[in-house]
Amino acid sequence: MKKLLLILMFALLPLSLSAHSALAAGDGPSKDMLKGIITEVNSAERTVLFEKDGTKELVTLALNEKMEPEDIAMNQKVLINLDKHAEAGNVMKDISVMFMDMTASKLIALLVIGAVGGLLSGFIGSGGAFVMTPAMMSLGVPGAVAVASNMCHKFPKAMVGAYKRWKYGQADIKLGLVMAVTAVIGVQIGIKIQKYILNQFGGAGSNLYISAVFMVVLVFVGGYVFFDAWKLASGGGKETVSKLALRMQKIQLAPMMHFKTAKVTISAWITIPVGLLTGMLAATIAVGGFVGVPGMIYVIGASAVVASATELIIAFVMGAWGSVQWGLSGLIDIRLALLLLATSLIGVQLGALGTTYVKDYIIKVVMATTMLIVAVSRGVKIPGYLIDLELMRPIQENTLALLEGISFWSLVAALGSAALIIIVAMIKGMTADSRSKKAVLGVSNG
Amino acid sequence: MTITTFDKNMSAVAFAEAGEHDTARRILGEKATRRHGKSPAPAAKSKPHLKTVIFGTMSLSAYYLLFTNEKLVTEIFTMGGWRWMYPVGAAFFFSFIHGAFASNLLGALGIEAKK
Repeated sequence: MKKLLLILMFALLPLSLSAHSALAAGDGPSKDMLKGIITEVNSAERTVLFEKDGTKELVTLALNEKMEPEDIAMNQKVLINLDKHAEAGNVMKDISVMFMDMTASKLIALLVIGAVGGLLSGFIGSGGAFVMTPAMMSLGVPGAVAVASNMCHKFPKAMVGAYKRWKYGQADIKLGLVMAVTAVIGVQIGIKIQKYILNQFGGAGSNLYISAVFMVVLVFVGGYVFFDAWKLASGGGKETVSKLALRMQKIQLAPMMHFKTAKVTISAWITIPVGLLTGMLAATIAVGGFVGVPGMIYVIGASAVVASATELIIAFVMGAWGSVQWGLSGLIDIRLALLLLATSLIGVQLGALGTTYVKDYIIKVVMATTMLIVAVSRGVKIPGYLIDLELMRPIQENTLALLEGISFWSLVAALGSAALIIIVAMIKGMTADSRSKKAVLGVSNG
Repeated sequence: MTITTFDKNMSAVAFAEAGEHDTARRILGEKATRRHGKSPAPAAKSKPHLKTVIFGTMSLSAYYLLFTNEKLVTEIFTMGGWRWMYPVGAAFFFSFIHGAFASNLLGALGIEAKK
């Protein structure tokens, strides 16, 4: 089974290179995106005068056939995507207002998402990104700004979480840094080849493909983690190092690396591919941790507690690097990042201290549950993409709407159930702990 | 070289025998006060209410300042180029003060990691 997992991870290496835009990875926006202000609208000619941000250069852009001149927002910072395939140059593909108006309900939504995402992140090392970006987009934030702002909230959150878990003696800084550096390289390689494939085959099938990769990784890895957690739970919860990891640790190929907290000595040639793959998957599905944490557990041989803590270091390095990239393009809406941080910094610390009360396999249970439910959310989107590609006969509008609804609510369910498991396990752990302390006091006093 | 309790006791005895009672007492007393300093663990464990309030006020004022000037802030922070330092710096700044508030808040609520 573990062999299969390894084969799958390596098979995904080339697979994950294709599809999807570079947006998920933090490499900055595409070159066809313009940022600035529309100063004039010419209704008769269906053109606008656009002032580019920073350079103040003025360009004339044409509206596409679906756009109406009266819908164009003037004197507000906007993001414009140019139509690459238009015969005449400078035709707008879409336009979106960069900064949404903050209303009370949006504010509360951001705070709630932040809290649950933080809790999950502190507990399993990753989580939140797969729901935060789509959630922000559904609040009316342009895609690129949502990705940028999520990235900017992710690295301080990961930093605080990593610091806490390092204090609890769970995070392996050396392993984290080695993984992070290789993951950053992995992201670069991933994006380079993605761009090549996108140019060769176009973007039509990319959504379908990304969902398929997402599904395969989540169902397979998530399923395996779940199976392992179930085995541990029924066997008393004592975690052992996987046979695959033991075999990997026997490979004496220089340079050998020793990771003190993880209590592992392993060849760099084993850690590098795991890191690269984490980065490549991050470039493809935006959640590298879904392969990074299982990779550290089953291939390198760290415990679930150490692996999930170490993932936070990787998330910090990758998030900081990504934030600089997005900051250079000036796409971070700091309001969104800071509102998410307002509650996620509490959540992440609560999640981190929660790990000190629970048995190791609970981390695996939470991780697997999240992965499997998120897989459903992605899976139900596949028919829609198939129809777009004309590979499937169109289905009724309301069926599609139902599938969209299932997709959204399964994400909510994934977060909700993970938060519930964490909180219940934590309360149980805390009660048991205080009971045993009282018992000890009773013995020593009596 | 570490001084064990035995060493301390012996030196106190030596001083006491030489008539230096005060020194002897100080040697033993020091140990006693040190133990005394350690024993009120509940005092050290006292909940960080003040810190929570201080960091909370700092964090809240920073949020207030930012959101009352949101137009200016979003404008400057999204100019691109070297100004990446603004959003990234702000995220660091908030993570320190708000992170410290969150940490103290959990402490004040009595939620602590298992020892």
